[in-house]
Amino acid sequence: MVLEATMICIDNSEWMRNGDYSPCRFQAQADAVNLICGAKTQSNPENTVGILTMAGRGVRVLTTPTTDLGKILACMHDVEMGGEMNMAAGIQVAQLALKHRQNKNQQQRIIVFAGSPVKYDKRVLEVIGKTLKKNSVALDIVNFGEEDGRKPEKLEALLSAVNNNDSSHIVHIPPGPNALSDVLISTPVLNGEGGGSDLPAAAGGNDFDFGVDPNLDPELALALRVSMEEERARQEAAAKRAAEESARQEKVEEPSSNSQDATMVDSADDRASEASGNNTDPVAITLSMQTPGHNDPSVHDVDMSEATHEEEELAIALQMSMKDESDMSKVLEDQSFVSSVLASLPGVDPNDPSVKDLLASLQGQSESEQKKKEDEPPNDEK
Amino acid sequence: MNKVDLVDFVDWSGVECLNQNSSHSLPNALKQGYREDDGLNLESDADEQLLINIPFTQVVKLYSVVVKGPEEEGPKTVKLFSNKEHMGFSNVNEFPPSDTAILSPDNLKEKPVVLKYVKFQNVRSLTIFIEDNQSGSDITKVQKIALFGTTVETTDMKGLKKIEDH
Repeated sequence: MVLEATMICIDNSEWMRNGDYSPCRFQAQADAVNLICGAKTQSNPENTVGILTMAGRGVRVLTTPTTDLGKILACMHDVEMGGEMNMAAGIQVAQLALKHRQNKNQQQRIIVFAGSPVKYDKRVLEVIGKTLKKNSVALDIVNFGEEDGRKPEKLEALLSAVNNNDSSHIVHIPPGPNALSDVLISTPVLNGEGGGSDLPAAAGGNDFDFGVDPNLDPELALALRVSMEEERARQEAAAKRAAEESARQEKVEEPSSNSQDATMVDSADDRASEASGNNTDPVAITLSMQTPGHNDPSVHDVDMSEATHEEEELAIALQMSMKDESDMSKVLEDQSFVSSVLASLPGVDPNDPSVKDLLASLQGQSESEQKKKEDEPPNDEK
Repeated sequence: MNKVDLVDFVDWSGVECLNQNSSHSLPNALKQGYREDDGLNLESDADEQLLINIPFTQVVKLYSVVVKGPEEEGPKTVKLFSNKEHMGFSNVNEFPPSDTAILSPDNLKEKPVVLKYVKFQNVRSLTIFIEDNQSGSDITKVQKIALFGTTVETTDMKGLKKIEDH
């Protein structure tokens, strides 16, 4: 949750027309940028992100660091491809933009997408790196697209010149079936120092992070991705509570099903699985049980089984993420467990029936539970 | 009024140092205990310059400064700026410093540098720019930074007495 101002340097040179990343390098890059912007603003609402393009007629700042995601997405629409990337100038302009940020308490970070060949000398890049380090600016480099022999070496040299205490990273993404943004999710570029939470770590067992092929149902994939981003922020507390719960409860769903959460379709399932020891929600349990059976990387099995529950899943996912109380009535009343859970939560009045229902359904998220508890009693009183 | 060591009035939450080596950082030179240890130094990282920002918890008047360092890598040209936060290396030379000190080897052995007192009457934050070092080496090392001065008159809450009712 570091307070950070980020400038993203986009490569919009002619090399980005290439289709080795689907649909084309530029589009893959744009998706990745959207993902990063979302992640940054999610992890801390005061984080700002700005965009500049490095090719075209010259380095051009599209937006200075802002918290407004809409503005950033709008800017991305107007970008045209052409010309050659000027990375040195791009980084220097980014540094200047960061220097004039509104909130001086923010840490400075530059993310560079290096898709075309790097024409600079190693030495020039090292000097740039040193200047960045001196002004305590961190740098993340995404190496994709053109692969010529010297490029990785030059970028690594740049990284080591900038790197201070591992705050800067480099990611090499070769062309492949996975989307650029999906690969980025599991890297330190998006996850900061942590190196990834449960979801990305377990995603290795499956080609698609969400177990749903974006081609089959792009809307579902998008909805899932959005709810996953929301879920990410709650993962730490959730994982801790899930560990306590699965230790207490020995049910069918082993801890492996928890780790398979990454392959689960959506955040509703995450919550359902984590709370699986306490949750008799029939749909959630069925889904949880299906996942261990479909552990192998064959996505299709997961797709088929989940296609049949897609409607229900999506409904539950949306409802759960909107915390709609009316649907929680079908959730479990395992009284003994619930009361022990409630007893462990500070400041909760276990005698309030609405609190009981809510907590039972939202187990695994102590933070959102507490928030809910504060929200719901006033709502009920209205 | 007596000059006191202003280390007690430093606002540690806002203390910053640009271009410091993360394993040889500012508290080594500024904090009580660490600064007495000559083995613990503040060292520069990418090049020999250092930019240190020290805010205070209250307004102070600065009288003198002690900068202790090794003979070779100790600082030479030191520029002090009063109440100028958030400077960077690129614009530090655009402002005239409140005072400049060229440290002699005696200064590096803890002889205090007396400052232009009139320029430091109303200091909320102090920025120290170490431009170069004695030997011109790539790394500047500082063993101790101590600031001496007085606080501006502030109300001593303990001295307040309750007015007796008539």
